Parts: sequence; structure tokens; C-alpha cells
Amino acid sequence: MRLRWSEAILLLPLALFVLLFELYPILVMAVRSFLDARGVPTLDNYLEILRNPVYLTAIRNSLLFATAGALVGAVGGTFVGYLAPRLPPRLHRFLLSLYSLPLTLSGLVVAFAFIVLLGRNGVLNLMVQRLFGLPRDVYFDVYSWYGIVLVYAFFQIPLMTLTMAAMFENLDRSLVEAARNLGARPWQVWRHVIVPVLAPGFLAGLSIQFAGLLGAFGTVLALVGGAKNLLAIQIYYHTSESTYDLPQAAALSVVLIAIIASVLVLLNLVERRVRASGGG
Amino acid sequence: MRRLGPFRTIALVLLVAFIVVPISMPVIFSFSVYWQDILPEGFTLRWYAKFLAKPATSRSLGVSLMVATSAVLLNLLIAVPAGYAISRMKGRARALTTAVARVLPLVLPPVIVGTALLLAFSKPPLAFSGTIGMVIVAHTLLGFPFMIRNTLASFDTLDIDTLSEAAASLGANLWQRLRWVIVPNVLPGVLSGALLVFAISIGEFEVTSMVAGFEAQTLPLQLFQQIRNDMRIASAISAFLVYVSLICFLGMTWLGGHLRERRG
Repeated sequence: MRLRWSEAILLLPLALFVLLFELYPILVMAVRSFLDARGVPTLDNYLEILRNPVYLTAIRNSLLFATAGALVGAVGGTFVGYLAPRLPPRLHRFLLSLYSLPLTLSGLVVAFAFIVLLGRNGVLNLMVQRLFGLPRDVYFDVYSWYGIVLVYAFFQIPLMTLTMAAMFENLDRSLVEAARNLGARPWQVWRHVIVPVLAPGFLAGLSIQFAGLLGAFGTVLALVGGAKNLLAIQIYYHTSESTYDLPQAAALSVVLIAIIASVLVLLNLVERRVRASGGG
Repeated sequence: MRRLGPFRTIALVLLVAFIVVPISMPVIFSFSVYWQDILPEGFTLRWYAKFLAKPATSRSLGVSLMVATSAVLLNLLIAVPAGYAISRMKGRARALTTAVARVLPLVLPPVIVGTALLLAFSKPPLAFSGTIGMVIVAHTLLGFPFMIRNTLASFDTLDIDTLSEAAASLGANLWQRLRWVIVPNVLPGVLSGALLVFAISIGEFEVTSMVAGFEAQTLPLQLFQQIRNDMRIASAISAFLVYVSLICFLGMTWLGGHLRERRG
């Protein structure tokens, strides 16, 4: 059925809002990234990113951090998604509800929680030290890269869980059983039946994780301030008082969009290939 | 209950602890007098009183509630009509619209939205940045994808034409059809989206910290400062944010059960 006029009008508020507050600002940002402070066209903002080792390190760190975080989230979320349907229905529902809770939780609250748990005098650190008689300077450092990835796992694992639980529930049990009855070994069942069915959802979940982590900075900022050099943190600092430089922030933002877009396109290509070779 | 076996039991306990333990930290901290060792000591409501007595934090509570409510209302105004219209679309137009709604927020994370809003709205005649209005707009943007997904799902399960015709053939006028047929069927999904938007807005820090000036200090912005200054007040703010999340979450679960019951 074609959309009637009266119905198309219903899309107007959405269209106006997206145009005015999403697309127009992005356009302004893209244009400003090619201007200097006086409004003269220049490529300096981009050349500066290539010249300045701080920015290059930030990009590298962001890629590494997003990869680590996305992998932890993907593996953890796949495990929870695998386990949940194998529990009694009530526990199954309870676990999935619990794992949708972090999605609405403020990143700062989570930062606070992990400082209390794993800070220098953190409860968990004290417990482990007492339990094993470790010296005071041996502890898990929540302010290290490992710590930050762990804190983000609190968001990433649940995010992936929601995707993967749906995939595992849809996985046709009878297909798996048929393969077994035909004499397939467990690894063959995984290789030829389970993985091809799950792979598209897994890759889609992975892209969402990766894209989200590339832009994340709130929780990092609450944990370590600017001590960790990430692309999103650099952008944030260039929009706030101390190192205020909006054209530079704009150029860094455009680079960040480009990185996220290429990662999404890349993972999308892999997903299509997997789908094609899966034969399903 | 069926026996689970040792592997599943241990896995389940660890997985539950992974979520429950961190969430309970701010709550326990906020009620304890003193917590320097493994176990917290004493019980007090002093930190909540301090949170409410301190002008900066009590004011930010009002700002946050106002911003979240406005973001929900704006989202209702925008996403409900859009959800209805999209549910009536077919084929490529629909695929395109939903793809844009899904992919755009992925490619444009909060840090980008914040920078772009700052750049576009910091100069006259459009100097909104630093105002509460700008924060409301930012939170509405962030809530969009969730609100549209929820309302669209509600409208999709509803065969509006058939139901409306049936109601009309029974002599129901437009108002009655809306009141008795469409609204009750769509309401749980829409409300659940509204709760989600509210919860996201109350906790949002990233974009807010970029576009909010001094007058638009929300609770998370105060929390950010207090994590450095006073862990006690920080614990009370954090705990409050946990309560809001929990309430919204319970509401959504209840609405979800309501929906399942009706459809099942």
C-alpha cells in the first residue's frame, strides 16, 4: 500500500528533528573541519592529525581498546546467550532480564561501582590480598587498560547477550540433532551447522560493540580523567575549556566517523560472505 | 526445580554476581557510615540528606527530572506518529527508513553528536548551546532509536485496518476507535519506550557534559565532580540513579509481561 499524504505528514516531526539537530550539525561540523579559526579554507586540521604523534597514538589506542572490548563483550555475551536457553524457563527469563539492566545504567554509576570494588583500596582487592596473604602493592588496577576494558565489559557483555540469546533460541535444535544422527562429530556440528547459523548475528553484534566502543569516553573520563589517550577523549578535550579548538575537534570527529563507517562496512562484507558460504 | 549440575550452577552464580555485585556497590556505600575495609560499617541516611541539602546537587536533581520528562514528551511527539507512518510503509521505503534509524546512531556516537551540536549552535542566531533546551534536544536524539523501535513494534503487531474496519462496522466513530482499539493495543509498547528514554536521559553524561553550560547541570554532571570531591555524596547520587534505572526496568518488565499475556 502506498503511503497516503495524511500519513506522510506524520513523518514530518521526525524528518524536521533529524534534519535540524542531526544532519545539519554534522554538515556544519564537516565544513568547519576544513576551515581555520578565521574561516579560511585549509587542510591543516587534518594534516595536524597526521603530524602530531598524540593524535596518531589516540587513534591506535582507540582501535586497540575497541578491539579488546568488543572481543571480551562478544565472547562473554555469546557464552551467556548460549547458557541462558539451557536453563529452566524462569531462570532463563531472569538471567536475560538481569542482563538487559546495564543498558539503562549511567556509565558514571558503573565507574563509581568499580572504583569501590577494584580501586586501590577496593573491596575485592582487599579480599584477595587477605585471602592469599598478598602484599599491599599487589592488586588489580581498575585504572589500567585492563581495568577499563573490564569496566566496559559490564556494558558490552549484556549488549551482546541480548543479540546472541535470540540467535541461540532460533537455532533449530532439530537441525543439530539431525546432523548428530547422521554421524557428524561434535566439531563438525559446530563447524557446519551451528557456526554458520550464528555467525551473522555474532558479526552484527560485534560491529555494534566496536562502533560503540570507538566513541565511548564517559566512563574512561570518570575513571582516569585524560590520562588515557583515546580519540574520543581527544575530541572531548578539544571541545572543553582547557584545550578549546573546535575546528580540530571537528576534524578528529570526521576521522572518527570515517573509522566507524569503514569498520561497519568491513564487518558487513564479512557477514555477507559468511552468509553466502553458510549455504543457509 | 530441575537440578542444574555443578557447571551450570557455578556459571549462573558468577554471571548473576557480575551484574548484581557492581550495581549494589553504590547502594551499600550510600547507607553506610564508614567503608574503608572489606565490610561497610553502620547505617545512615546522612549522605542522602547531604545530597538534598547541597544547593548544587539538589538543583541538578530538578534539572535532570525536567530534562528527562521533556525528552520523553518530545520523543512521544516525534516517534509515535513516525512509528505509525513507518508501520504503514512497505518494501524499500520502509527498509530505508528503518536502516537509517538503526545505522545513524551507530555511526554518530554521543561524542560526535555533542561536537556537532556545539559547532552548529554556538553562534548567533542559533546560540542554543549551554542552555537546558540544548540538553533536552541532545537527550531526545539519543532516545530516538529506542523509542522508534518500540512504537514501530507495537504498531506492527496491530492490524489497524482490519481492527478499525471491524470497529467501524460495529458503529464506532473515529474517536471511539482510537480510544478503545488503537490506544490500548499500542500503549504498553509506547510506555515501555518512554521509560527507556527516561532512564537513558537521567543517566546520560557524555553529550550532556559537552553541551551543558552552568545552568543545565544535570545529576550525572554533579556525580562526575563528586567522584573527585566527596565519595559520600557521589554514592547517594549513584544510588539514586540506580533506583531510577531499576524502577524503569521493572516497569518495562511488567509492561512486557502484560503484552505477552495479551498476545499469548
